[in-house]
Formats: sequence, C-alpha cells, structure tokens
Amino acid sequence: MNDRIVFDNVSKFYGEVLGVNRVNLSLAPGITSLVGPNGSGKTTLLNLLTGLIRPSRGQVRVLGLEAATDTTAFFRAVGYCTQFDSFPPNVTGFEFIEDGLLLHGLSRAQARELAEEALGRLSLLNAADRKIAGYSKGMRQKVRLAQAIAHHPSVLVLDEPLNGLDPMARAEAMALFEALARQGLHVIVSSHVLEEVDRISDAVVLMASGYVVAEGDIGQVRREVRDQPMQILVRCSHPELLASQMFCMNHVVEARLHQDGGGLLLRTRDMDQFYMILNRLASEGLVEVESVAPADQDVHSIYQYLIGESGGTPTA
Amino acid sequence: MPVYKRSYRSYAGPLTPAWRRFLVITRYGLEDAWQSRVTTRLLIVCLVPALGVAFTIYLFNSDALKLLLGVGVGSGSFKIDGNYFFGVFRLQCWLAMVLTAWVGPRLMASDLANNALPVLLSRPIRRREYLAGKLAVLGLLLSAVTWAPASLLFLLQTQLAKNWALSHLYILCGLLLGSLLWIAVLSLLTLAVAAWVKWRIMATALVFGVVLAPAGVGEMFNQILNSRWGSLISVPRLMTSIWQRLLRVQSIPSRADQLLPVPAALLALALICAACLLVLNARIRSREVVRG
Repeated sequence: MNDRIVFDNVSKFYGEVLGVNRVNLSLAPGITSLVGPNGSGKTTLLNLLTGLIRPSRGQVRVLGLEAATDTTAFFRAVGYCTQFDSFPPNVTGFEFIEDGLLLHGLSRAQARELAEEALGRLSLLNAADRKIAGYSKGMRQKVRLAQAIAHHPSVLVLDEPLNGLDPMARAEAMALFEALARQGLHVIVSSHVLEEVDRISDAVVLMASGYVVAEGDIGQVRREVRDQPMQILVRCSHPELLASQMFCMNHVVEARLHQDGGGLLLRTRDMDQFYMILNRLASEGLVEVESVAPADQDVHSIYQYLIGESGGTPTA
Repeated sequence: MPVYKRSYRSYAGPLTPAWRRFLVITRYGLEDAWQSRVTTRLLIVCLVPALGVAFTIYLFNSDALKLLLGVGVGSGSFKIDGNYFFGVFRLQCWLAMVLTAWVGPRLMASDLANNALPVLLSRPIRRREYLAGKLAVLGLLLSAVTWAPASLLFLLQTQLAKNWALSHLYILCGLLLGSLLWIAVLSLLTLAVAAWVKWRIMATALVFGVVLAPAGVGEMFNQILNSRWGSLISVPRLMTSIWQRLLRVQSIPSRADQLLPVPAALLALALICAACLLVLNARIRSREVVRG
C-alpha cells in the first residue's frame, strides 16, 4: 500500500464547521480529479493531503508517510500548486523556484539545476530571469506549476492548475500531467473545467457537503449509479425506426433524435435488453449501426446524477 | 488498462541540514527590505547619532583636540559612564523602532494578504521556522542599529581611556541584554501587528499606535491615581525601567518613583510577547481561506 494515498476515516472540523467528514479513500498512481461545488470540502481535502492541516479524526498517509511524524520526507514527497496568484515581491521566476528548492534542502548548485529543468519543462526558460510581476497570468500559472514539480515530488497536488492558460498552454500542461502520471506519479487535480478533467483523469472523486459521494474510474462510478438510466448514443441509419422499436420496451425511458439527424440518444434502465434488441434489429437489416457509445460517462453527467441540481453547479 | 513503465524517480540526492533552512526565508526578507530606498535611508539616519557620539567620545579623551576646538569638556560634571551610554542607547533604540515599523510589516503583511503561506509551508518548513526566518531579518537589522554600534562606542571608549573598561564592564553587558530584549519585544510586536492587519501601511502606523497609545493611557492613570503601576502598559516606561537598572543609571529624584521594579517590568514584557505569539499563532495559518 506504500504507493497509495490513503485517507482512513478522516474528518476535519473548523470549530463547529464541517470541512470533510468520514472520508475513506485509497488513491493509486495516475491522475485523480477532485470535483465538487463550492464548500464541498475539496480544498480541505487538498490541504489534508498536502499536510497543511491535520485531521481532527482519522489518518492521512501519503505513500506510507504521515505529515506529523515523517515531516521532512512527507513534504519532500508532495508538490503543491495552489490556486492563489501570489508570489514574493521582486523575485524572478528562476529565483522563486530556486528558493523553493533551497527550502527543500537542496544545495545551491542542485537547486539551480532543478530550477532550470522545471522551467524548461514549462517552456519558461526564456522568461526565467524576468520578474514574476511582469509575467502574464498564464506565465504565472506556469511558474507555479514549475515550482510544484521542481523538486521531483512523488505526489503532485494541483488546485485549479489550468486557470489562466491559453489553449496551447493548456494542452501542454495536460500533456505534462499525463506524462508524469504515466511515469508513476500521483497527480491530484482539482478543476472546474470538467471536460478537461474528464479527458485526462484515471479516476474521479466527487464531493458534496464535506462527504465523498463517489470515487473510482468514471465508468466504475457510473456503474454505481444503478438506479439512474444510462444514456447511449447510437449512430445508425433510420434512427426514427430504431426509436419506434425501442419505445416499445419498458426499460427505455427516453429516446430522441440527435441534432444532426444521424443518430439516436436513448436512456435505458437495462443495458443487456437494449443490446439484445439492437442486435436483432441490426441482424434483420432494419438499421445499419455505425457506432454505439455511452453518452453520459463524463464527470458532469455523473455529478448531476449523484448530487442533482440541489448540489449546485459543479465547480472546483 | 495500459501498463506503463514507472520511470519517474524522486530526488534522492544530499540535503542541507534542516535547522538552517529558515535562513532562506531570512534572505528573502532581507532582499525585499533592501529593495526599498527608504530602508537604506532609515538605516543611515539610525547610524548618524552613533557617529556623533563617537566623535564626542574621541573629543572627551583627546586633550589636543579639545585645545584645538577650545572646548572644556573632560573635567567637571561630564563623564562617560552608564548615564551617558543610557542616553545614547535610548536614542538608538527609538530610532530602531522607526526602522522596524518600516521594515517589519513588509515581511509579514504581503505574505498573509496574498495567501502565500500555503506555497511556503507546503515545503519542509514549519510555522515556527517561517517565523524564525522573519524574526532573524529584524534581528539583523536592529542589531546593526542597537547593540552593534553601542558596543563599538564602548570599545572606542575602552581604547581611549585607560583603566576604564573593567570598572564599566556592566555597561557592555547592559547594552547587550537591553538590546536583545528590545529587539525581541519590538520584532514580535511588529510582526504580530502586521499579521493582524495584513496591510503594510496600516501596520506601520499601528506599530506606533500600539506602543505609544497605551503609554499615554498609562501615564494618565499614573497622574490621576498618583501611582506608577499604569506604566505596566507603557512599553517605553517598561523598557526605560529595565535599561536604567542594567546601565546603573542614577534617576532624577523627581522621576525615580515613576520607575517600575524590574521583575514587574519583565513580567509585563513577557505578557506582551506572549500575546504577540498568540496573535502570530492564530494568523500564521497554512490553510487557504476560500470565501464564496
């Protein structure tokens, strides 16, 4: 279990205010997304994970390390990119990262080497010697990312990491997260850009009101929501014929033509029955099926199923 | 599920000792303080009186120069002793307060106002080390204008006056102890105020306020009740009581009854420092505060 991040029955209270309650998680290496509305406890969970706050109850272990007892090793293992656009005054990008590395206990020579490497990964070497105050918002976001990865952490915690980045930089940053995750790093991302999170995540943690309402890979979480009809997009010829056939079945609760007229969106409570009927129609030659794909296995849909409209708009 | 080769390696090279990492915070703070020309000018202003005093000491010990300038100091009532150093030292200490009120809030207020603590404290550095780093900045700057010049003046007098040093060694000890106490009180007070208001300019003004306003109230209390215990909330009076005892200053008889016993003054200062630490403990929080 030492390659995992484990929350063991963790609760955090700020006086009488609930931060998170009875959280049990075991996160594997890869990209894990943290999604939930404001006040759902995401930031508290990130702060517990980075050792910035201690749990009121329970235990947080990051790769087998605890912040209270293995302080130095714990903080060396974690890289944190906060959502706040704040820097020490009058420092250059290079100095900001170098000083962070010195706090980690690296010698000046090593700190310089790793600072250059981190800035290079984020394509910031050209601006390394400029004051951060003169950076654009996107560059400041990049330099925050660079300081988080500079000391080669094993766990990278990113709070709204894609905010302020232009599309090209977003793509670069996401490619970097994916590359790091592929190499065996834990990347924990909190973001409100659900489509991006959805695309890169290996797993999601959905939170509401301080509780974890679902966790796992998106397909797995979707399967947990058994009482909700699943939405499927069928690309086929004669979608109107398919719709009429499907409406005869009790398990189909909704069928509507796709906007482009080349497909049918169905909501069904019984996937097995649906596939049987679809196979029959296809074998009888009534419809020619191009593709069948789940249309609701994205984080947003799952979140809406689990929390409903009362949960508020999912944001980070 | 794709299987990838786990090629990522965390840094496993040598590390510097943990105890000295707070010096990174100190270096940050010093660099930031020196970015302002006002800091440099204030430091120069703080050192000007010491230069004047050095000249006076030289003049006092040089009969040739006295003759040349036609001044008659050296005999009569003018002496270089605890009283003389008390006057010099007190001036240096109050100038140090001006310097602290300018530099201190720069160190703390912007970090807190910009939520920079999560970034700093997500490194292997604790809150007390962060605070130690900030205190070290003030300690260095205030040392440069309090005990360091005062000690140099003492050494100058020692060099110029034969058989003076041994009989006046208590002055050097008094200067060192008095300075360290003042630096500790002033630094904690300034950082606590800066942490409380998180606004640099306001904190600078408030430093003078929290030192001088209670002193005024205490004085009123003393006058109305014909007491001296109102001075317990007056930092200037508390420090003066201790400095006078350390430097064996002969009090003016009419003011002698206004001085506080040293244990009471020390206790009051300890309580002030404890209150400052409580404020800092409450304010220096690593967690982000997200509103909305």
